Amino acid sequence: MSAGLMASVAPTHIPATPDLARMQRQRGERLRGLMGAQGLDALVLLGNTNVAYATGAVWPLADGGRTNFEQPVAVVLADDPTPHLFSPVREDDRLRAELPADHLHGPVYLDFDEGVEHFAAQLTGLIGASAVIALDEWTHALRRERSLLFAGDGPSDGGRIISAAKVLKTPDELSCMREGLRITEQAIAEVQALVAPGVRQTDLTATFLRTIFDAGADANILDPIWQVMPSNIADGPWTTTGDLACPLLSTERALVEGDVLWVDTGVSYGGFHSDFGRTWIVGREPSAQQRGQFERWQTIMAAVLDVTRAGATAADLTAAAIGAAGGVKPWMPHFYLGHGLGIDSAEMPYVGSDIGEAFDASLVLAPGMVLVLEPIVWDDGAAGYRSEEVLLVTDDGWEPMTDYPYDPF
Amino acid sequence: MPITEVLPDDAALRLARRTRLLDEMEATDVDLLIVGREGNARYVSGAPRLWTAGSRAFGPGCVLVRASGAVHLLSTWDEGIPDDIPHENLYGISFNAATFLKVLQGIEGAATARTVATDALTFSALRLLGKAFPAAQVVDGTDLLARARQVKTPEEIGAIRASVRLAESALGETVSALTPGITERQLTGVFMEAMAAEGVTTPSGQDVAWITSRDHPWRRATRDTAVAAGDLVAFEAGVLRGGYVGELGRTHAAAEDVGVHRDLLDRSEALLRALVVACQPGAPLSGLLDAYTAAGIPAPPVPVARGLGLGFDLPLVTHALPRTASARHIEVGMVFSLTAYVWDQGVGALYVQEPIAITATGPELLSTDAVHAARSH
Repeated sequence: MSAGLMASVAPTHIPATPDLARMQRQRGERLRGLMGAQGLDALVLLGNTNVAYATGAVWPLADGGRTNFEQPVAVVLADDPTPHLFSPVREDDRLRAELPADHLHGPVYLDFDEGVEHFAAQLTGLIGASAVIALDEWTHALRRERSLLFAGDGPSDGGRIISAAKVLKTPDELSCMREGLRITEQAIAEVQALVAPGVRQTDLTATFLRTIFDAGADANILDPIWQVMPSNIADGPWTTTGDLACPLLSTERALVEGDVLWVDTGVSYGGFHSDFGRTWIVGREPSAQQRGQFERWQTIMAAVLDVTRAGATAADLTAAAIGAAGGVKPWMPHFYLGHGLGIDSAEMPYVGSDIGEAFDASLVLAPGMVLVLEPIVWDDGAAGYRSEEVLLVTDDGWEPMTDYPYDPF
Repeated sequence: MPITEVLPDDAALRLARRTRLLDEMEATDVDLLIVGREGNARYVSGAPRLWTAGSRAFGPGCVLVRASGAVHLLSTWDEGIPDDIPHENLYGISFNAATFLKVLQGIEGAATARTVATDALTFSALRLLGKAFPAAQVVDGTDLLARARQVKTPEEIGAIRASVRLAESALGETVSALTPGITERQLTGVFMEAMAAEGVTTPSGQDVAWITSRDHPWRRATRDTAVAAGDLVAFEAGVLRGGYVGELGRTHAAAEDVGVHRDLLDRSEALLRALVVACQPGAPLSGLLDAYTAAGIPAPPVPVARGLGLGFDLPLVTHALPRTASARHIEVGMVFSLTAYVWDQGVGALYVQEPIAITATGPELLSTDAVHAARSH
């Protein structure tokens, strides 16, 4: 059994416990700095994770359908260090976070004209009628009633402000993320102990869901993937790329001895998403060929880690991966070699995505970025190996944020 | 029968839904409907896709073409995709706006479409749609979606009923775990495990249990507070089975019979009765708000009614939107859950969420358990 990533490199940049008040204060400073540069008076946020970022409010994420009608909304003002939160239950300790009572407001329903009218009246009370505002996303009711809320040419794109602010993680944020990743790994260990012929994919999910909450997760963020890989790409579903179909949904399908499982899942904790990926073999030790695949995967991962540091470009990482993989791209064409992780499961920086090589060459890694690297090895006829590692980019290299062993490899 | 394959929604179900949408598009002269919200995409396509928690900014996840009835769907693979959506109408995951532009430009009638309706928008989507459909106006598609979606077919009501049954069963296991010392977070884990053990891995919410406050009508403490004997614990059990939401809310006392709170129980039952009585076809939705007023019970901060469907649905009735509630009426075929919430200082709250379907003869309860089972103990 191969130990996790932390066996080789111990983390030093990540504090054991986060200071949440400081984390929120620093986010606010960052957001208001970006707002000031654009001459903004206010930033209005609807997206769940954007609201969580700006306010520090933590709540268990629901199905998107419900979220669309009952969403917390955040308002960040340029001249106020404390954000405003409009939420369904203002007396909720988890939503209240560090916010004083006069910054907590009742629910607004921005899918309805009447809801937008109420919100506009409250917003005008906070910032006046001629304020310059940015907004992260539109509902149609907001668009219809935009003259009530937005002076002049209307709002600018506030989503970009969050994207710019969130990409570099502060030490407190990293500490929160590390805890979310630890919770995920704790639950995964329970799941892996269950894997055996006859067990259904949904049984693995049942144990995962139970244990993430026992371990302290706020919510599950994606229907967990325990995909049984075909030996050949052609034995799997048709794809737009002609390549692998992954991730495919879990069902009550029972595992069979020798199944190659590609695992992919994540949870939410403290407003952050985690990510986890491994390859398991059901009821059997890996074959010599499978061990060979794992060793090639390790070689690719080592080559990428070797060039990962602040100042490197995404293209440096993809070139290292391709070089170690013998000239082919060792990742799935509909995804990437790697992606950022934070308040969202996949966010900038994307490495090796279909945005293209020019983009990769222009994307420079910076200290404080968090990367999920997920190369794959595939031998058509004998399936393949995929795992994910989460790491922090530092000035002189990187530091592991995940520590799960590669068992049974 | 365990489901061991990813299957599209039943053909009759999905085609009936699509026909409704096409009729609404015809009536409102919409050429293309582009949806990003998952429930809407499934309503159009009948295809299950990966469930993720939380809101998602608008993107062109699924396109319905009025002229041909064709569906174009964001999916890199064909597993679970109905055979009425051919391979050439599938477009893969992409991080590149230029790729989506090409996909949208390739849809029949893109160059000449005059009206494109969407279910939400972002700044980048507005730029994208402007380029892809140069002759078109981008309009609000949420009304036409609501008109199609909020009145259910009998098959849809059957699907919701099955979801409610699963929610009840998983809730039953969760309530069995309610003993002093357990936390809200752990109770949520018990519910999620029970749901998944029955083969369904997608919840509608993940805030399954909370200790109602004895001191404040709605205050909630942290999720790791241990339940104490005598606490009234509210449960909100919701699942998405086959994409359809089934949910119900119940309240149980830890290590005690709820029946000891006779007065609270009486008011909860009377309120729920009044709410159900208000659910007559043709009655204004505001009748549900009036039921609280008539009973002298303070309005809860959460909605009094929420539509149930493929993902959450309309109607949404809340004291925060009185004009909206007055302007709309209860229709045969609507399915929603009613919220009855009563609270007593020093005792706590009784929270009930009751899923109902509106039939020609009036409201029909979709749950099979007794709302206040504790009373009969």
